[in-house]
Amino acid sequence: MPEIRLSKLTKRYGAVEVLHGIDLEMAANEFTVLVGPSGCGKSTTLRMIAGLETVSEGEIFIGGNPVSHLDPKDRGLAMVFQDYALYPHMDVAHNISFALRLQRRPKAEIEAKVREVADVVGLTEFLHRKPGALSGGQRQRVAMARALAKDSDIFLFDEPLSNLDAKLRGQMRAELAIMQQRVRKNMIYVTHDQVEAMTLADRIVVMHGGHIQQQGTPEALFKQPANRFVAGFLGSPPMNFLEAELVSENDRLFARGDGFSVAVPAGRSRSLKRTSGGVTLGIRPSDLNFEKDARDDEAIDLRVIVSEYVGAQSVLLCACGNGSVTVELKSETPIALGETLRFAIRAEGIHLFDRESTAAL
Amino acid sequence: MDHERQNPAFYALLAVLIFMSVGPVLLMFVNSFKLDVDIIGGTTGLIFLPTIQNYETALCDILWYELDHLDFCSLKFGGALINSLIIALISTGLTLVIGCMAAYALVRFRFFGRDTVSLTTLTVRMVPPAVLLVPVFGLWNNEFCIGKSTLVGGWIRDMFGGRGDVCLAGTHSGIIIIYVAMNLPFVIWILQSFIVQVPRSLEEAARVDGAGPFQVFFKIVLPLIQPGLAAAAIFTFRIAWNEYLLASALSDRNTKTVPILIVNNMSEFNVEWGVIMATGMLLAIPPIIFTLFASRQIITGMTAGAVKG
Repeated sequence: MPEIRLSKLTKRYGAVEVLHGIDLEMAANEFTVLVGPSGCGKSTTLRMIAGLETVSEGEIFIGGNPVSHLDPKDRGLAMVFQDYALYPHMDVAHNISFALRLQRRPKAEIEAKVREVADVVGLTEFLHRKPGALSGGQRQRVAMARALAKDSDIFLFDEPLSNLDAKLRGQMRAELAIMQQRVRKNMIYVTHDQVEAMTLADRIVVMHGGHIQQQGTPEALFKQPANRFVAGFLGSPPMNFLEAELVSENDRLFARGDGFSVAVPAGRSRSLKRTSGGVTLGIRPSDLNFEKDARDDEAIDLRVIVSEYVGAQSVLLCACGNGSVTVELKSETPIALGETLRFAIRAEGIHLFDRESTAAL
Repeated sequence: MDHERQNPAFYALLAVLIFMSVGPVLLMFVNSFKLDVDIIGGTTGLIFLPTIQNYETALCDILWYELDHLDFCSLKFGGALINSLIIALISTGLTLVIGCMAAYALVRFRFFGRDTVSLTTLTVRMVPPAVLLVPVFGLWNNEFCIGKSTLVGGWIRDMFGGRGDVCLAGTHSGIIIIYVAMNLPFVIWILQSFIVQVPRSLEEAARVDGAGPFQVFFKIVLPLIQPGLAAAAIFTFRIAWNEYLLASALSDRNTKTVPILIVNNMSEFNVEWGVIMATGMLLAIPPIIFTLFASRQIITGMTAGAVKG
């Protein structure tokens, strides 16, 4: 199971550069998720690894060997496409065995492999149906089975779940996680859905504007986002951002903005002393707790504007001065719209970003 | 089911249209079973003694028994039918093979002048065959020849006989080439619209699965544009089968097709209407069989289930 390395990978369409020299290393058997908004270059990166897009500059190494000049078929990888891309004129069994038949493997071996793979994804009863007679979820499974049958070392997934409805997506996500445990292989998974990224990944690579913003384990990225973009992209509901100034008072550092003044934890304030001026304060909704008698410098007062009931939790959209803040609250808490509530901020939940460079401080 | 009542004029219009389209065929069918005397005699109508004599005359060169009413078999229908089949089938086959590859290239490959080529193919089709005829006749007779003194030319002359140089005119190939050239633009144009509908990701999936460019084309694209190929085949076969003008100028005694044969059956002294009607009926059979076969391949929804729409 080879490791994959991208070195200064660049893609240009004419004069437009969409990928600006990406460096990335993926260890053996790692499940890497490339995540980012549409047009961030994540799919292009994947397609370049697959060999479906040419490399403008830089190199892709698989197991130490440069592969960017090779045809897709010579790179030893399997791919699941966003739109499934099933061969409509072949039944499920033939779809799954297409790659094996191209390799002219013995018939008995092909049959055994098809059976084995169909069993893994639960398609045994449908082997002789055409893709047109299958439901969306089943088609997705066929696409998965086709990739599995190839016995490749590397699996590429191009937003495989984005065409399924919400319920099926959750189900397939769980199945993918199970499959990932069973088949330990290099997997590279592209998605714009941060929930998929967080739940499946060993390593998340957040991309934006053709650059890698940050990479690491889901936990590391969630807890220590490198910049404002990563912080806002991961987590649901997304992180709240409030414009603030760093003010030093009585040897303590405060992030002060319109309608709030929050003390920066003592441990962090030392390194922040030198930075002055505009910062962005970031707080995740999950780091805000409804607490009537919290201290002024550890809390924020919010006026409730909208309450969205989503079951056990309600998501409240609140105003704080000019800014808006989203918080989560147990649904049974009695609140009225327009009421001002006090929320305590967990000390480790305070994120500060430079207003100019958006980098974390 | 409750049908909406239509205006009687609607039915009258339908009847006229049906009469216009079926009438001549019916007339030809009925007359093909009449003797010439009955056809041109004043006693028009449906009361006559049906005879297959016209068909016997038409098929005289391939029947296994002697005909009583005919001293000499002048009409070579069998030979002409074989000529027609050779020319129509080979030109259809060639047109499809070249057409689907050209269409694929025009749709999928990016090259300089692609759109221009795509458009010009169709404008070539707008040129009337009569305009083509004059230069082609000259070229086929005088330019595209192999001298009889050369090795190949001499060999062909020894094998097939004849005088003068070996030219394209009067050969099956000469007619096939011009039919292919004539039908290719339309076939390319039809197939382009079918190839566009084949999702690109299917080809990419096949490439990742280990297929080379030709395997992608033959195993993925070709099966999926089968309905388009069938439609194009019906179209080209029908044109090649019915074409008169070019075939009449470019064929000789041994390579003439059925439409030419039928007209040759008229002379200034005698028009054998019965035989003409019979050959006309026989002429209609092969395209009908071909169309029945080909139209079975026209299945809608070929790409259903390939990709999530």
